[in-house]
Amino acid sequence: MAEELLKVQNISKSYVGVQALDNVSMSINKGEIQSLVGENGSGKSTLIKIIAGVVKPDEGEIIINGKRFQNLHAIDSISEGIQVIYQDLSLFPNLSVAENISLNQMIERKKRFINWKEIKSIATEELSNIKKELDLNERVENISIANKQLVAICRALTQDAKLIIMDEPTTAITKGEIDRLFSVILALKKKGISTLFVSHKLSEVLQISEKVTVIRDGKLVGVYNTKELDYDTLSFYMSGKKIVDSVFDYQEKERQKEPLLEVKNLSKKGNFQNINFKVQSGEIIGITGILGSGRTELALSLFGLNKPDSGEIYINGKLVKINSPQNAIDLGLSYLPEDRLNQGLFVKQSIQDNAIVTILKRLLNKFRLLSDSKKYKSAKEWVEELNVITPSLEAAAQALSGGNQQRLVIAKWLATNPKIFILDSPTVGIDIASKSNIHNIIKGLANKGMGVIIISDEIPETIHNCNRVVVMKEGRIVKEVDTADITEDELFNILARKNK
Amino acid sequence: MIGNNRNIQIRRIFRQNESYLFLVVIAYSTLITSLNPSFLSLENLFDLGKSSAGMGILAIGVFIVLLSGGIDISFAAIAISGQYIAANVLIATGIDNIFFAFLISCSVGIALGAINGLLISSFKIPTLIATLGTLSVFHGALLTIVGSKAINSAQLPDCFKIFGAKDVLILTKANGINYGLSIFTLIFIAVALLTWFFLKHTMLGRGIYAIGGDMNAAERSGFNIAKIQFFIYCYVGFLAGIAGVLHISLIRYSNPTYIVGTELSVIAAVVLGGTRITGGSGTIIGTIMGVAMVTILNNSLILVGLSSYWQNFFVGLIIVISVSFTSYQSKRGIGSIILNRN
Repeated sequence: MAEELLKVQNISKSYVGVQALDNVSMSINKGEIQSLVGENGSGKSTLIKIIAGVVKPDEGEIIINGKRFQNLHAIDSISEGIQVIYQDLSLFPNLSVAENISLNQMIERKKRFINWKEIKSIATEELSNIKKELDLNERVENISIANKQLVAICRALTQDAKLIIMDEPTTAITKGEIDRLFSVILALKKKGISTLFVSHKLSEVLQISEKVTVIRDGKLVGVYNTKELDYDTLSFYMSGKKIVDSVFDYQEKERQKEPLLEVKNLSKKGNFQNINFKVQSGEIIGITGILGSGRTELALSLFGLNKPDSGEIYINGKLVKINSPQNAIDLGLSYLPEDRLNQGLFVKQSIQDNAIVTILKRLLNKFRLLSDSKKYKSAKEWVEELNVITPSLEAAAQALSGGNQQRLVIAKWLATNPKIFILDSPTVGIDIASKSNIHNIIKGLANKGMGVIIISDEIPETIHNCNRVVVMKEGRIVKEVDTADITEDELFNILARKNK
Repeated sequence: MIGNNRNIQIRRIFRQNESYLFLVVIAYSTLITSLNPSFLSLENLFDLGKSSAGMGILAIGVFIVLLSGGIDISFAAIAISGQYIAANVLIATGIDNIFFAFLISCSVGIALGAINGLLISSFKIPTLIATLGTLSVFHGALLTIVGSKAINSAQLPDCFKIFGAKDVLILTKANGINYGLSIFTLIFIAVALLTWFFLKHTMLGRGIYAIGGDMNAAERSGFNIAKIQFFIYCYVGFLAGIAGVLHISLIRYSNPTYIVGTELSVIAAVVLGGTRITGGSGTIIGTIMGVAMVTILNNSLILVGLSSYWQNFFVGLIIVISVSFTSYQSKRGIGSIILNRN
């Protein structure tokens, strides 16, 4: 019988009217690698925060190393060896690698003065523990995200971690870096350190963990041995729904003389180089690549927000210069940004104002002032068209769920009547049911003749929704392929392969 | 991979703003000396060291606040409050002692700084708003409660005059006139060393860097943010108290409307010295160089015979150019990181 390190029993927690967790129990053994799986809003992060002692549960108890805690404080949790690595990593960008690793231990030991030799020796030791070399004097803001993550892990180790909880650690790192992270997790296991891997990326969960705890809508769905699971069953447990993604089937209707959009030799130093591709009317093109591959920078250039150094852009066969978003919109382009909350919406403004913000000029009355009735009519029409579920058009956009927010962003762009729609990570942070609804909307647009570009690092999303996919790596296109001719695994391997 | 270590170090030096500023200071000094050779004389340099000490001490205070991610614009009001109250107390009690003056001025400074610190650390008021408010409150209270009459040279206690004329190193020019290194400069150097030491070698100092880098991360690491913030604003008050005494001793006169109004040029000198206005990054050396640049600029304009109105113009111009330059540099830096990472 393995030794139990952490046990949470019958935890419930509600925030004003919302039951975030309802009678959830789970346990982690010493040296175990476990995953905690659930969709956004399922209560994963609340559970982590309760284990970390940052949030107090309404009911239930937490047992760490056999000690019962009715009222767990953050400091108790840390001194019992529980370390949480949050998604933002909580590092100090302005401080050196060495200091980031060692500073927490110094605080814990209530040091008054700094011994720089000690700071460096601690950092060197922890880095060698995970077999990693880093320049100790480099500022953390100048190192890659994967290395930042390793710094955060080292920092956790300096505080005698027995359990490291990693919140969505693989969101922004490459396949190779994920493998390195996994080898670090396995090395920690050998030292008897447990890992709780919190994620909704199921293939990674299946790869690394021994046990999987699934929660949905604040309730425990079950605890499974990873051996008993496959992707589809786990996905079903997580969402509670069987989702059948219909594959996008592009039929070239008639011979089109000119492509809707053609990009020739587009380059921008430090962003992307020598980009060539075409989009025909009715096509959905996927652009995939990891964060930093230049995919978003390319999209921004097409939308006039990132001036390229050289190359040409043709729309309907005509050479165009796109110097500003206004230019882009006039040429029939729309861009749905990756960061919905900051760039896609005015979250504190009403749904109505968000829906019409792109077409203000069309809503003027005869005095050239905004007409309230035209505003209302247009907003209502689009909100209904895209089935944004809301009690009132006057509600603030932030009150909507992720899926409804994204439909609202799509609505505001459709109002401009675009010919080409660029969607950057359109389903990030959206639950599975809304996801497939948004995919269907996108396919519907393409079927009506719009040219669509989906930028996504989720391989199933590109395979199921695009007819062609372009793979970007370090600013270059490394592969362009019809999705009919490639499997998910093959595409995954292309993305993961080292260059040349 | 750890490449050529020396290479990395050299690159790091050139990435720093201070290095450029240092070159600019040297180049500019050379230019001015060629126009007016008296600029680079030891006498003029000593003089600059004396007259800029007060501004330098205020700048170190501002530097710490900016480092922590905040901003303080009430420090000038604190400095003049400390000065004016100290002078009045000395006159009223008849105690003619410079240490007593420092004690009162610095106590007033710490007390007013503590008010800022409390507002910011316990009520979580944005630092700009808090100190914008207290600037008016402190200065208004000084003028209405303590008084608004200037203290002229005849009324001024002698200790200020003696202190203002105190040199620690006296040299004699060829024509027999003495000149020397003022004690002001030593005090400034002492403040700079003390501040450097506690920023670099104490947990409190690292805490200031930490909250300037990422406030949330600092909280999660277990830094006591309220305590650190409270300390910062008290320390700024303390430094303002010192600067207040230096100022009155230098000009042998105290007018409760002086010093207030110089906030922006002090902040400007610190920013010029490479301290990020968004917090977390900057050095004492850079700050000293920023002060030096502004001082040299002002002094040289007088030496070449331009009116003092031009000073504002040039200080402003230099700041706009240097900050644009750093901003452009860091933008290019980000681009290259994206391309170079593996």
